[in-house]
Amino acid sequence: MSSPHTETLQAKVFPRLYRDSVALMALASSIEKREGVLRAGAVMATPGNLEILGRSQMLPPDLTAAPDDLVLVVRAADEATATDALEAAEAGLTSAEQRGGGSSTEVAPQTIAEGLDVTGEATLATVSTPGTYAPVVVEQALRQGLHVFCFSDNVSLQDEVRLKRMAVDRRLLLMGPDCGTAVLDGVPLGFANAVRSGPVAIVAASGTGAQEVSCLLDAAGSGISQLIGVGGRDLSGQVGGLMTNLALDLVAADDASEIVVVVSKPPAPEVAERLLARLERLGKPVVACLLGEADADGPVAVRGTLEGGAAAAAALAKKPLTLPRDGGDEDGSSTPLPGRVLGLYTGGTLASEAKVVLGRAGVQAEILDLGDDQYTAGRPHPMIDPSARADRVAEAGAQRDVGLVLVDLVLGFGASADPATPLADAVRSARTTAAADGRDLVVVGSVCGTAADPQDIAAQRRILREAGVVLQPSNAAAARYAVARVTGSLTTESTQLHSQETA
Amino acid sequence: MITGGVRVLNVGLPLIVEGVPAADVVQLDWRPPAFGDAEAARSAVSLDDELTRQANERAIAAVHAVRPRLVRVRSAREVVPGIAEGRTLLHAGPPIEVARMCGPMLGALIGAALFEGWASDAEDAEAQLRSGRIPVSPCHHSGAVGPMAGVLAPSMPVFVVEDGGRQAFTSLNEGLGKVLRFGAFDDEVITRLTWMRDVLGPVLDEALRGREPVDVTALFGQALAMGDEGHNRNVAATSLLTRRLAPVLAGLPRGVEVLQFLAGNDHFALNLSMAGAKLALDAAVGIEHSTLVTAMARNGVEFGLRVAGTGERWFTAPVGPADGLFFPGYGIEDANPDLGDSAITETLGIGGFAMAASPAITRFVGGTPDDALATTRSMRRITLAPHPAFPLPPLNFAGSPSGIDVLKVLDTGVLPVINTGIAHREAGVGQIGAGIVTAPPEVFVQAVAALHDARSAR
Repeated sequence: MSSPHTETLQAKVFPRLYRDSVALMALASSIEKREGVLRAGAVMATPGNLEILGRSQMLPPDLTAAPDDLVLVVRAADEATATDALEAAEAGLTSAEQRGGGSSTEVAPQTIAEGLDVTGEATLATVSTPGTYAPVVVEQALRQGLHVFCFSDNVSLQDEVRLKRMAVDRRLLLMGPDCGTAVLDGVPLGFANAVRSGPVAIVAASGTGAQEVSCLLDAAGSGISQLIGVGGRDLSGQVGGLMTNLALDLVAADDASEIVVVVSKPPAPEVAERLLARLERLGKPVVACLLGEADADGPVAVRGTLEGGAAAAAALAKKPLTLPRDGGDEDGSSTPLPGRVLGLYTGGTLASEAKVVLGRAGVQAEILDLGDDQYTAGRPHPMIDPSARADRVAEAGAQRDVGLVLVDLVLGFGASADPATPLADAVRSARTTAAADGRDLVVVGSVCGTAADPQDIAAQRRILREAGVVLQPSNAAAARYAVARVTGSLTTESTQLHSQETA
Repeated sequence: MITGGVRVLNVGLPLIVEGVPAADVVQLDWRPPAFGDAEAARSAVSLDDELTRQANERAIAAVHAVRPRLVRVRSAREVVPGIAEGRTLLHAGPPIEVARMCGPMLGALIGAALFEGWASDAEDAEAQLRSGRIPVSPCHHSGAVGPMAGVLAPSMPVFVVEDGGRQAFTSLNEGLGKVLRFGAFDDEVITRLTWMRDVLGPVLDEALRGREPVDVTALFGQALAMGDEGHNRNVAATSLLTRRLAPVLAGLPRGVEVLQFLAGNDHFALNLSMAGAKLALDAAVGIEHSTLVTAMARNGVEFGLRVAGTGERWFTAPVGPADGLFFPGYGIEDANPDLGDSAITETLGIGGFAMAASPAITRFVGGTPDDALATTRSMRRITLAPHPAFPLPPLNFAGSPSGIDVLKVLDTGVLPVINTGIAHREAGVGQIGAGIVTAPPEVFVQAVAALHDARSAR
């Protein structure tokens, strides 16, 4: 242990150098692994970031930097270690800087306008800049006649409404802000799965919700024509479904789309009424998958779970969804499991669906969406960097009151190359910890993915099963299994789908 | 569903387009716009529309259509507006009170007052300047431009360039060493100014009068092809001008004296380059909604920027010394903050913007010919159009990047590059080095805010 007196804080400012936050967080975390480094920070010197550094005693008092400067800070056991660490960090930054180079090469395009100079054929901009600047980039793209997929979050509601109006005026899609998933004409954007093409168009205000529905359609042997994300707030009273309406216009006119699924949290009441009226007149069969709503059949089929929505659409496509049990142990299952249910999710809508299933069964549970801002602060989303969630799973082994841990695993483009391994390691560790304490910790989960995804779904499943995870064929099925275990009502039917959808 | 297929510009994380075929993605090397000032970036993007585009097309076309011609050399008193009344002196850069002036500028004004015979000695001149009995005003406010301190007095001879009914003016260049524009005002300086008034000006005027005017654009176009960049290297343009005038000068009384002076001053044509640029850019002043920069100028304390759509308003920010190469015995601690109207050349698209034309100068300012090409290329990113009269051989005769667009400066964060001489901070020591400076970001942010306000007010 070093004494606080020899501890040192060193910083270096790189004027007008930009790196995205994912690259910076990766850099900081690699520097923190160095011997003698207590803490490292690599941020763009925005007022917000400087405040964060200040709060964590990582801001040298004499530091001056502009918002477009990059700052490296290292707290280390001694001066030499800090200096070495800063040098290593700088090397990490500049190795990325020195590309291109040669005297005759043009610099890489930096702005939307410069990008269009390179390729006048661009039709769409994908935006994942810090939220402060996202409205500017989105507006530039819209003004140039580009559709926009906006992954950035922290965009004000006021900006969202203004920009969506601008997009609607131009008949352009503005997917997002905070849009995670889209598949347009077979091209996946953001966190999307390699789903077979088929007759179902999905218009989704939720990322992992759309992923789960599309993967279940793929599993049913059907597939999707389009998947249009609209951002989680599109069906709020303020936004009023501006983009959902445009997306519905587009899929209504799209010959490849025969069946339409809308995926969302329950919309604001005044929006819901208009939406349902619109859906009834769409001229194509529609499933409204509104998480937590009561299932109802009418001109528009309403389903309260993702699985229910997928099954209803699959049935309309004449490819009924029949999900096989994926294995798992069945021992001693008719006695109620001691301990509570803890859900540790990387997918926000998957977490919501689990809450719906557990809530319908009257089971109390703590379900955490670890992709939520309050858990990600300063770290990449757990779908990109699975270690944050893995740490939580490992810790759960020591929580004596937890009897069952519910998890998801999201595959597809954008997701980590091998998310199963860190989760499996954590599950082993948690189960070992619990076993040492004389407890059996049950871990239940599902894999959201398709056979064509880059990660190899069969291998990912095997890794989880070998670590003792009880795998279910859908997230809803995993939640139902949890219900069955904690209530002691496990039967072979308990994970099967509602009969009307499987018929 | 997507007309034209899904072809993506990716702004941000590469993993967002992991599933898109690589051939259909262009990854941007994005960085925060407007120097990280999100509010300014919003104002800029809100102006980026058809109204602005059309205004800028008009503005740059107007600038490029100007063909300045050197017609006369006259006494400033006779031609420069606002200088004949009372005892007015003009200076470089945006407006500044005498009390805040830097050493070289105050020295130059003292020298000009002595030259005019308005003061008995330097103390008297300084007292009159400080009390306002000798008022001062920017050259730019009188259709004129001047290098370094840029001081212009009524008795000084000026180049008169004109096109159509419009004129622009500039002083005649004194050469290097102890000179007024670096703030020197001893007898040697006053003696030279007197000779320039009594001999150089009248003889040059005699050589020009009644003859075909000198096409300034063509002269500098040719000089760019001969290794000048029109700001810090002027040996080709000076030679061309001298050659043009020599046959006449040689036959005039005291003409050989003038030729000897021209032969000893490699920078003589700089002032003419500046006046031509000034006349061209004035054509865009006041074009509503245009975001084209019409002037960049330094007074040794502040950098000033003017934009077409905001007319004659100055946007100013503190200016620091240029960091460049220093003559032996001098360093940055001796340097005066950046000074002079000569950045009007970069405003038009030569000087630093035409570095590619001038491999010779790159060593003087500490770089390689590769750096020069890169500099000119990067200036393309913030300009409206290549200048049709200034083709650059090293860039396959593409025109020099011309017409700075404030919106592009904010969008890219690329700042205009200015080639500059470096003055000693004390009056009269003279030039101590040369280097490259960039305009300060603040003035562009201010300009966009003003353009935005002007638009919202309508």
